[in-house]
Amino acid sequence: MALYEGIALIQEKQAVVLDLGSEYTKFGFTGEAAPRCIIRSQFWCSTERRFKKVYEYSTPEELYDNLVNMLHLLYFRHVLVNPKERKVVVVESLLTPTLFRETLAKVLFTHYEVSGAVWADSPRMCAMTLGAPVTLVVSLGAREAEVAAVVHSCVVLRAVQAQPLGAAAVRAELLHLLRQDCGPDLHLPDHVLEDITVKTCFVSPRARALRWQSDSPPEPARSVRYPLARLGAVCVSGRARELAAEPLFRRDNELASLPDIVLQCIMQCPIDVRRALAANVLLTGGAASLPGLRARLSQELAHLCTLPPYSSRLRLGEFKFHRAPAHDMSCAWLGGALCGAGEAGGGAGGGRLLSRDVYCRERRLRDWVNLLDNTPPHHPQRDHLDLTL
Amino acid sequence: MAYLTQPDYVRYICTCGQLKPITSLYFCRHCLKIRCGFCICHEVDSHYCPNCLENMPSSEARLKKNRCSSCFDCPSCYHTLSTRASLVQPRQQEGAGDGKVENKHQKKMYYLACFNCRWTSRDVGIPDQPVASGGWPERPNPFATQINQLLEYYKAIALQEKQEKIEKERKKFAIRGKYLTLTDKTGLTGAMARNIAGLPSSDSGSSSIIAKFVPSQASAEVEELPEDYFTKEVNLNQITSMPQRLLSPEWQPTDVSRLHPIAKLLSVKRSQRCRECDHNLTKPEYNPGSIKFKIELLAFYHIPEVKIISYEPMKAGENSTVLLKLSNPTAHEMTLCLMNPEDIPQVDNEEEQLENSLEKSLTLDKESAACKPAAAPAWRRAAAPCVRAVGPPVRVSVPQRDDAAEYDDDATHDANDVIVWRKANKLGVRLQVATEAAASRGGAALLALALQYSYRNTVPPAANAPNQRNHILYTTALLSLGNVA
Ligand SMILES: [Zn+2]
Ligand SMILES: [Zn+2]
Ligand SMILES: [Zn+2]
Ligand SMILES: [Zn+2]
Repeated sequence: MALYEGIALIQEKQAVVLDLGSEYTKFGFTGEAAPRCIIRSQFWCSTERRFKKVYEYSTPEELYDNLVNMLHLLYFRHVLVNPKERKVVVVESLLTPTLFRETLAKVLFTHYEVSGAVWADSPRMCAMTLGAPVTLVVSLGAREAEVAAVVHSCVVLRAVQAQPLGAAAVRAELLHLLRQDCGPDLHLPDHVLEDITVKTCFVSPRARALRWQSDSPPEPARSVRYPLARLGAVCVSGRARELAAEPLFRRDNELASLPDIVLQCIMQCPIDVRRALAANVLLTGGAASLPGLRARLSQELAHLCTLPPYSSRLRLGEFKFHRAPAHDMSCAWLGGALCGAGEAGGGAGGGRLLSRDVYCRERRLRDWVNLLDNTPPHHPQRDHLDLTL
Repeated sequence: MAYLTQPDYVRYICTCGQLKPITSLYFCRHCLKIRCGFCICHEVDSHYCPNCLENMPSSEARLKKNRCSSCFDCPSCYHTLSTRASLVQPRQQEGAGDGKVENKHQKKMYYLACFNCRWTSRDVGIPDQPVASGGWPERPNPFATQINQLLEYYKAIALQEKQEKIEKERKKFAIRGKYLTLTDKTGLTGAMARNIAGLPSSDSGSSSIIAKFVPSQASAEVEELPEDYFTKEVNLNQITSMPQRLLSPEWQPTDVSRLHPIAKLLSVKRSQRCRECDHNLTKPEYNPGSIKFKIELLAFYHIPEVKIISYEPMKAGENSTVLLKLSNPTAHEMTLCLMNPEDIPQVDNEEEQLENSLEKSLTLDKESAACKPAAAPAWRRAAAPCVRAVGPPVRVSVPQRDDAAEYDDDATHDANDVIVWRKANKLGVRLQVATEAAASRGGAALLALALQYSYRNTVPPAANAPNQRNHILYTTALLSLGNVA
């Protein structure tokens, strides 16, 4: 038996791991330490003669076409393997729209004829890169900041928090600040704003950020002359460099700042894991690489704990931060690669694998919001669900 | 060149519903259907380096992570790097020998340089190499040990889960046979037996990995910005851009001084297959330098081509004349009939199934078990034709393609109000069209034109299939005739 198993492992094609982010797509093989490619989630659209983003769609058919084109690019230009009869691990946010999930499944199973796929949620995958039993995953993506508690490989679903506090929020604020400096009709394309953020912006410590709001602002950091392709240059002032990331920490009556949603997530978790969560924070996502962001978040969390409504309800002790063995952007991807490799050697899967046959029969994906999937087997309401669908 | 540089005035409707110019369509000789890039199956045929045009067997390509070992890209501007040689004087003892002897000791050392942005491997402190190709130091992944530990851990857990499951199943359904096994007789467990025999214990192997595993440790100390961060000048030339970082996903350097040459990513030659019958539509030659194909079933060689010569302006509710050029690319005479799309007889599915019953029986299994690709978006959504052909259907016969005919004299003019001229395998026809009265002014005037054509199949038929060589096939083209005036 062992011999046959060995042969099966050799013959088994190495599965691929796909993380289709709204800005960057990470794609590579299971069991490897880094994705083979990280490219923008866009493709050359020959009919429209421009680069088109995958998430730019108004109809399901358009999304289907976008995904077919994007996956063709990934398989045949970057990873160079046949998609057919190969398994896929799809790393996705818990808040991915159903239409997107279902269309991606349709493209993978019917257009590319993959043999099976595992849908893995990104908080659980991020936590896998640590091996710690309890983790609070704070992921700052291109659009959204998502906070989820992972307790023994289970996401505490009711505590999941999300706010539009991603890289896009930082870029919008940067443009706003630059317009204050250089005049209101300054227009910069998104990729230039990204480059300015990546090269010059940082997050100052809390004490310094407070002084910016007071009457005696601190001496700003050095300004940077950023050359533009055609228009000469734009002067990025020290103030703009420093304050661009402030929207993440700006508190209002909604309590929707980044430290707020972290604490709210902890508050909605069972009381016996709250301390452990605070002591196991993992900050990831493309926007988390801003210099000083980790330190600032730590300071803000420590401060916020002492304020109502948290001070009366949370006794958390110290906040401790993890370092994942991957770059911020590819952390969830690495989790997918580990998950795929761990389950049954070369193949992705075990019980969580959705094989092509099963998909063709049922034509749907399991989803945590779906009553069909989250009603316990002996629940009285189970009988009312139309299982023939 | 017109195919590449001009907009597609004539688009054909693929069997799957996509609209494509004739140059990007295929024709399956086995199903006798038009196919396009969207509805065929792409496959990786061979790997090669696009720079040195060296073939690489796919097993080796997999081992080398699809990268060429002798070609590199500039990490700064993505241009291909060149290998440069320099003569180095090995260190000499003082006052040793004369010039001739010194020359003998001179050695060539190589480094990589970019001719586009002047980046060199010396800039980042990579030592020069004694050989011209390869041998460049490889960098290990900074997280390699941690990730390997995690991999082992998760594999061990998976193995244990599996074993526990098997164990549980066995306990549930264990039916003791009438033969005693060794372990039953002696009371030895498998693990103990292995121990005595000096074999590495299978069971404890995974559990020891699990026991030894050290999860990541969180720390309350987080790196703060360095003190001088607020006063230091920022040198944009020293910080990498996002594309530069992502070019090497394993390292993602933020400092220009940490950039390393990027081994060139291989390219693939693709072969393409009909999804319905699994026959190859294109298959490239193995040699990377060759742009030829072993198999190329392009629609351009099999279906009649329609080109627009000229047209009168389309006016809503009025008739106009269009001059078209039809050509027959096949080696057999072709009868062509131009008609309206709704005149295409509906093919009876059952009849068709009977026709190529062998092919069907081979693929039926697969099709019923698997799901067929979803019907692609219908072309109707993308385009609404408002012009249609009027009058009796134009029926013409087009001679076969004859390369020698290229040298013939001028076109012969038929005195016919349909055929304007004839030349070798091409002819010009006059077509009367009518624009819908409801067509909006300024909107695109699209003519939907169905083509009925005779096709002679040259594929040797399967043993027990009926030998049918002549077929009547249909296709529909959409012609852009400017805007409605
Ligand atoms: Zn097609
Ligand atoms: Zn090469
Ligand atoms: Zn260069
Ligand atoms: Zn076919």
